[in-house]
Amino acid sequence: MITISRDQERKARQDKRFINKETQTSEKYLRRIEELPGAPEGMKAFLDVLEHIYVDMHGVDIPQRQKTIGTYCVMVPQELIYAAGAVPVKLCSGNYTAFFIGDDIAPRDACPLVKAVAGFKHTGLMPVYENCSMMIVPVTCDCKKKIAGMLGDYCDVMTMHVPTTKNDDDIDEFVDQLYDLAERLESITGNKITYDSLSAAFYKVGRAQYELSEFIKLKRQSPYLIRGTHAMTIMNAYGYMPADKWADALRSVNMSLSLRAVKGEKVTAKKLPRILLTGSPIVFPNMKIPLLIEEMGGIVAGDETCMGERGMWDPPVITDNSFDGMMRALANRSLRPCPCPTFADNSQRIYRLKQLIKENQIQGVIYHVLRGCLVYDFEYKRIEDELGKLDIPVIRLESDYNEEDVEQLRIRIEAFIELIKLRQPVEKNTNIRREL
Amino acid sequence: MRKKKRIIAAGIICAVLLALAYFAAYLPFYKFGEGSYATSLKKIFSSEYIKTVAPLFIIFAVSALGIVLIVCIRKKLMSKGRNSSVYANRYSVRGAGKAPKQKLSLFMMIRWALMTAFTVFMIWGGLLSGLRNENISIPVFSCPANTVQPTEASCYFLSHLNVLFTLPIKNIIIFFVSTLLFTILLGRAMCGFLCPMGLIQDIMDKIRKKTKTKGISANEKMYSAFKPIKWFMILLFIGLCFIGGNFCDFCPAITVSPILAGLGVSLYVSGFLMIFILIGSFFKRRLFCNVCPLGYLVGLFHKVSLFRIKKDCTTCTECGACYEACPMGIKTIYTEREKADVTEANCIMCGECVKCCPEDNALSLTVAGKKLYTASRKNVMSGYAPKDH
Repeated sequence: MITISRDQERKARQDKRFINKETQTSEKYLRRIEELPGAPEGMKAFLDVLEHIYVDMHGVDIPQRQKTIGTYCVMVPQELIYAAGAVPVKLCSGNYTAFFIGDDIAPRDACPLVKAVAGFKHTGLMPVYENCSMMIVPVTCDCKKKIAGMLGDYCDVMTMHVPTTKNDDDIDEFVDQLYDLAERLESITGNKITYDSLSAAFYKVGRAQYELSEFIKLKRQSPYLIRGTHAMTIMNAYGYMPADKWADALRSVNMSLSLRAVKGEKVTAKKLPRILLTGSPIVFPNMKIPLLIEEMGGIVAGDETCMGERGMWDPPVITDNSFDGMMRALANRSLRPCPCPTFADNSQRIYRLKQLIKENQIQGVIYHVLRGCLVYDFEYKRIEDELGKLDIPVIRLESDYNEEDVEQLRIRIEAFIELIKLRQPVEKNTNIRREL
Repeated sequence: MRKKKRIIAAGIICAVLLALAYFAAYLPFYKFGEGSYATSLKKIFSSEYIKTVAPLFIIFAVSALGIVLIVCIRKKLMSKGRNSSVYANRYSVRGAGKAPKQKLSLFMMIRWALMTAFTVFMIWGGLLSGLRNENISIPVFSCPANTVQPTEASCYFLSHLNVLFTLPIKNIIIFFVSTLLFTILLGRAMCGFLCPMGLIQDIMDKIRKKTKTKGISANEKMYSAFKPIKWFMILLFIGLCFIGGNFCDFCPAITVSPILAGLGVSLYVSGFLMIFILIGSFFKRRLFCNVCPLGYLVGLFHKVSLFRIKKDCTTCTECGACYEACPMGIKTIYTEREKADVTEANCIMCGECVKCCPEDNALSLTVAGKKLYTASRKNVMSGYAPKDH
């Protein structure tokens, strides 16, 4: 009797500590993002959502009856979840506090993302995780595979097999899986996915994609219009907002950005080094790297990460407007344009990077590797070689959800930014001298 | 082992085709009496025309029946398998929901208008205008068996080379020069813009889209099965006249233009084949074009034709939408990452890939270096734009 109550007491203490620490770190990063100058109007909506989820510890803001479905990867088609009358949330986590708890559960070499997820689920305190009626885990790496098994102890889990190539047969197989997924979703929500509900879902997500492409177009046309950290925050908030609400919020951001573009306003008057962030996912609150880049006088001009543009940029193109044609469009969109390193031949990613470098006038690439994220680490060498040919400097930053290496990272990022500044055209330097 | 099986299957299909083509004259579909092989404007507007068009009605009726039957059987068969959810009551109720659709582009409107206009022109043009010019031959599958059209399609003489060589030398030269000229000028753009056979198949596809029926999606295996058939069709097309057959008795295209022009052409195997093609093109867009001998012969000159599909490889994200949309199954269009020119012998310039491409300027259809139709994200996303924009 006494031991049980003592255990309970300890658990309550632990939980309290966890909540305190979790809210503190989230609050800190939200503040840092807010403190960055040059946020566009309408940015607050996205910060509020992140605050609602991580600081106030609430579930996603949706009507009571609606169910939420957790997803772990951009390869899960959100249209299907909306069609079943549920709301998808992205559960890939960047949380430091949960990472420490997950450290004891998952093996040492597992990636921090998976450790954080395990930590959250173990404590059972995060409403976003606890509210999920089902979790969909596409098996994109070994860690995801095992976490799917672990999560299975706590809630309903569906794994999805991601093929290693993108041949026609693989697409066919993925379509079959989508049908299985549709059936699972139907049994959980009780709603039937019909032609009508699926096409309505297409409009819902398509509208968000439309706003995103406007946003990216604005970003591309006039550089220094918005800070990359803010853009990444917007993309992160998508994970916890229904697509239509997100689209409306992004629209007001787009309007203020286009006003800025017309007036010729910029985030900074200086010509800051333009940096592309790629590699392992950067999930709120693990925003230390983009924040460091911007605080050290660089600008994140583009990001090629799962939580960023990658998952949303390519729209599903319907070439056959039957129900099955729409499912195929979803399968096609999920696999073919995705430059995820889970695919055996991923030369596509190099082309994608080159494209982003050209479009956003990138001067340097920071390759972020989460410790234990093997698939991304594998690709570093080839990307370094390829970008070397283009004379674009690349550095690899290995890190996890620890805040202990911040100083180290700061030094490396600062050096990298200085290096790019040195490489900038000489005429600019002479101008500065004249001013002096 | 699998390869061996495939070769055997291809061999059997080719042998069946050969037998069908050779003995075509013994398998009548619809026979006309003597003397109905003449036409005039008067005949078209008289009740006699209905009699001539009768076989066409039979063909359409049988194909419609076939399509309905196939859809029903498919639904029944599939409702039990693993993919039960594929067909289980997911159809919309009376078309209440609409799949997102992009706005009709000017290019597509022009293409449809041209195709329709040219079909009318090729079939009734001669009768309406009284113009007749047997000297200009256009390599299009529109039967020249009717001599009432303003220009001739080259398919008759190409499939009856023995007849061609009995003509005076002047006619032979005119035939080859005009055919080659059009081949080089337009290339396979004729298939996408002018061919009446193409129009009929496109209409079948439109009907399928309107009824929201599932079609056959792009699959490499299917397209590789078409390849030997296509080559054998070319062999038949050119060679059948020398071994005593008549390609016209076999060719499905004959059911289109001569009958509509009011000629009482007796149909043999071609009638049966047309039913097959109509049903097939309902489920697989432009089925016949995939095996069309004349089209492929024209396509062989794709290196010199003026119509080209250009790709900007730096903006492509390899989303594969173009490949899914392509009725001819050209895969290089989405895998290509080096060359700027992705025109292929199979490409019929229908512009479907450009229409579906979500990346600005990634794909474009050019004529003599001038861009006619360019991919744009705005077009693809036009269905999702908020109303007040």
